[in-house]
Amino acid sequence: MRFFKLLWVFVRVGVMGEMAYPANFLAHLLDSVLELGTALAGLAIIFAHTATLGGWRSDELVALVGVYFLVGGVIGLVIQPGMEQLTESVRDGTLDFTLTKPEDAQLLVSIWRVEIWKIIDVGLGFVVVAIAMARLGERVGLGQAAAFAAALLAGGVIVYSFWLILATTAFWLVRVENILVIFQSVYEAGRWPVSIYPGWLRFALTFLVPVAFAITVPAQALAGRLTWQVLLGAAAFAVALFTAARVFWRLGVRHYSGASS
Amino acid sequence: MRGLVDLYVQQLKTGVASMLQYRATLFIWLIGNILEPLIYLVVWSTVSGSSGGSIGGYAAKDFAAYYIVLMLVNQATFTWVMYEFDYRIREGTFSAILLHPVHPIHADIAENLSSKVVSLPIMVAAAAGLSVIFHPALKITLWMAAAFVPALVLAFLVRFLVEWTIALAAFWTTRVTAINQIHFMAVLFFSGQIAPLAVLPYPLRVVATILPFRWTIGFPVELLLGRLSPGQVLTGFAAQAAWLIVAMAILKFAWRASVKNYSAVGA
Amino acid sequence: MPFGHDFELGARNILQEPLQLGRGIVNCHTVAFRDDDLVAAVSALRDNELGRRRMEGQGQKRQHGRDSNCANILGMDETPAIRLRNLGKIYRVTEREPGIRAALASLVHRRKSEVRAVDGISFDLAPGEIVGFLGPNGAGKTTTLKMLSGLLHPTSGDLSVLSYVPWKRDKAFLRQITLVMGQRNQLVWDIPAADSFELNRAIYRIPAADYKRTLEELVALLDLQPLLGKPVRNLSLGERMKCEIAAALLHRPQVVFLDEPTIGLDVTMQRRIRAFIAEYNRRTGATVLLTSHYMADVEALCRRVVVIHHGKLLFDGELADLVKRFTAHKTIVVQLKDCAADLRAYGEVVSCEDGRLTLRVPKTETARVTERLLADLPVIDLTVADPPIEEVIEQVFAQESL
Repeated sequence: MRFFKLLWVFVRVGVMGEMAYPANFLAHLLDSVLELGTALAGLAIIFAHTATLGGWRSDELVALVGVYFLVGGVIGLVIQPGMEQLTESVRDGTLDFTLTKPEDAQLLVSIWRVEIWKIIDVGLGFVVVAIAMARLGERVGLGQAAAFAAALLAGGVIVYSFWLILATTAFWLVRVENILVIFQSVYEAGRWPVSIYPGWLRFALTFLVPVAFAITVPAQALAGRLTWQVLLGAAAFAVALFTAARVFWRLGVRHYSGASS
Repeated sequence: MRGLVDLYVQQLKTGVASMLQYRATLFIWLIGNILEPLIYLVVWSTVSGSSGGSIGGYAAKDFAAYYIVLMLVNQATFTWVMYEFDYRIREGTFSAILLHPVHPIHADIAENLSSKVVSLPIMVAAAAGLSVIFHPALKITLWMAAAFVPALVLAFLVRFLVEWTIALAAFWTTRVTAINQIHFMAVLFFSGQIAPLAVLPYPLRVVATILPFRWTIGFPVELLLGRLSPGQVLTGFAAQAAWLIVAMAILKFAWRASVKNYSAVGA
Repeated sequence: MPFGHDFELGARNILQEPLQLGRGIVNCHTVAFRDDDLVAAVSALRDNELGRRRMEGQGQKRQHGRDSNCANILGMDETPAIRLRNLGKIYRVTEREPGIRAALASLVHRRKSEVRAVDGISFDLAPGEIVGFLGPNGAGKTTTLKMLSGLLHPTSGDLSVLSYVPWKRDKAFLRQITLVMGQRNQLVWDIPAADSFELNRAIYRIPAADYKRTLEELVALLDLQPLLGKPVRNLSLGERMKCEIAAALLHRPQVVFLDEPTIGLDVTMQRRIRAFIAEYNRRTGATVLLTSHYMADVEALCRRVVVIHHGKLLFDGELADLVKRFTAHKTIVVQLKDCAADLRAYGEVVSCEDGRLTLRVPKTETARVTERLLADLPVIDLTVADPPIEEVIEQVFAQESL
């Protein structure tokens, strides 16, 4: 498919760009390990005092941390760099080059920057999930694995659409680089199952900054707590938000091109 | 001395004006600074609820009080100098700063204070809002409030000097992210952010008393909440003062070495 | 193939009489064609890659740049590659006083004003023409270029490029055009230029064989071989510009928009790039619209210039005509022994150094002043020239209208 071919080209560009700085790999590995260590140490401190948190066992929370890293890695790998580049391109006018290319501009701006070393986070995330599941002693059945994959996919689409909507505001506002930082600040809250937060915060973390769909829901799938209603809801929300993002994007491009409003 | 006061007044004026320009950035930082203690507030309240009501002398309402006050103290002592330094060195703007006849730390302190002028009112409002939601157990006596002020000022100074000194690492290496990361971890665990120190496992508590971070955040918080005996309060002040002197000495030495290094390499 | 045969003869005749056409051989070589007979005929005329390439073509209709006189002689139909009719673009700008009060007031009532960036311009570009687009800053050149490449929606008027409506941004349209902007890069910063080229190859879906051939050609023409492996950030400004141009031409577009391509480059590099553009146009017959501040660019490349000012078309025609029409003066350069004599009587003295006198005289006076100079003074050398084009253009811009 065209999408994968283009994605592969940009991944190659990303890898080549990073190969110029080989020492970075170790530095990034250290970064990620430290962050993971912090998260797990935090869990250890808490579980010294209790057996469950909001109904979640310690290993289930470890799995959640794994998902946190996994999804965070994917975001840092391709979504965040692309959207940051988009806001910059709108500002300095290099978006014009993209708009004269015979390819869907939204597709191009979504995959044009790949921070390849974030693959470390994705890898670490998978490892942590695997270890947690092993410790839980649960056999991950085909159904559960499929639910996990589906939840991850829905969460991924939701997060991507959210970032795109945020970045598209660049067409109207001048200095929006910082708006993207909102997601990173709020993402921290996803290290914990969203169910422990009071109602209003839970709502904000589900529908305003969709951290719940990105992390808690896939983790629920792993812990066997995911109901098909929630999964269906996630899928529906993914479709709706993706459509909204596409519409908003096209509005943004029309505005940028001075189309009569 | 008069000149220095004058400098601060001027810097504060321009600082506040420019901070108002950077409203968006400040606002976004605020979200992070409100959210992080809030998350731990909820987590620890939940834990205490499921483990018989209280942990280490903190019930849910005590955790609420602790983290709301921590939110304010953290904001009051918060700095971002390591990012600033990294940027300055990369962009080469440090050369201009080195030409100033005044030690650059004063400008940075003034800039920091001006951001607080703009952000603290919002934080206080947020704290009020969270108090309505979480019903913290707050019993503040007059003399605690009185002691809180010098404790906070000292905490700010100690934190600023320590972080400014660590930021100097930018002169020596480009790999400052790792250093910053370790620093943040230390602050998170040992200043009372991830958990009140009384709740930490024993080995960590020991480490926390040796490091300066406890005196930059945890100490003023615990003081205001009335969790410290008068003896502990006095020890705390002494520790703050001691760390202030140590930090100043290390900073002076590190600064001189860094400038030498910078000029030698080619500013 | 009787028709082809006749054509061959006819074309040969044209070649033998270049002066009659007043255009020279270069443009008349390349001819529009629509079927294989003509291709064969063209290839018989000149044994260059051009004809051969056309025969290898995949049956796609392609047009070469050609001279309009050739077209008339050959009885061909000429569809302009680019056509503008009364094109207009109005920007709506919100105005606001500084200060808090005004900021709050603007929330309630927004004061808008209109900026007419482009105000009813019309012209055509024939396929294969290189046209210079001149105008001071803010005249509307870049706005027009953006409308032509589909980046901006016009507010009024008609616009067609290669029979497409640009702002609809058909993929087929975008595959045939390219935009090069002097101050901005599309190359990826950290990787060698060659890898950025590969990126464009994927995006434009250029078949491997075509890509290889085009790349070789561009590398040879622009002398890119030593640059290909270096990361773009390590290249000098001129080297980067060469790579940018190459990247923009990998898909062999038929229409090339160049927005100040030589800005900021040193003189040698400017010449190199000018030569390249001319050669590229000669080889591929691409239509080129070039905006530039440098008269040297326009002089070297464009016979025809379009002058735009305050969004309006001031002049559309040959550069030589522009000079003729808009200047009332000529420059006389005289070499004397020294500057001692009082030379003001002859005309406006622009400068006099070491006996080299530069005079500015009204056109009508040229003959008379020259006569007098030669009679009165010990003239070692004398030249009569048009004023520098910069001066002419400045005068053109100083006028509000024709």
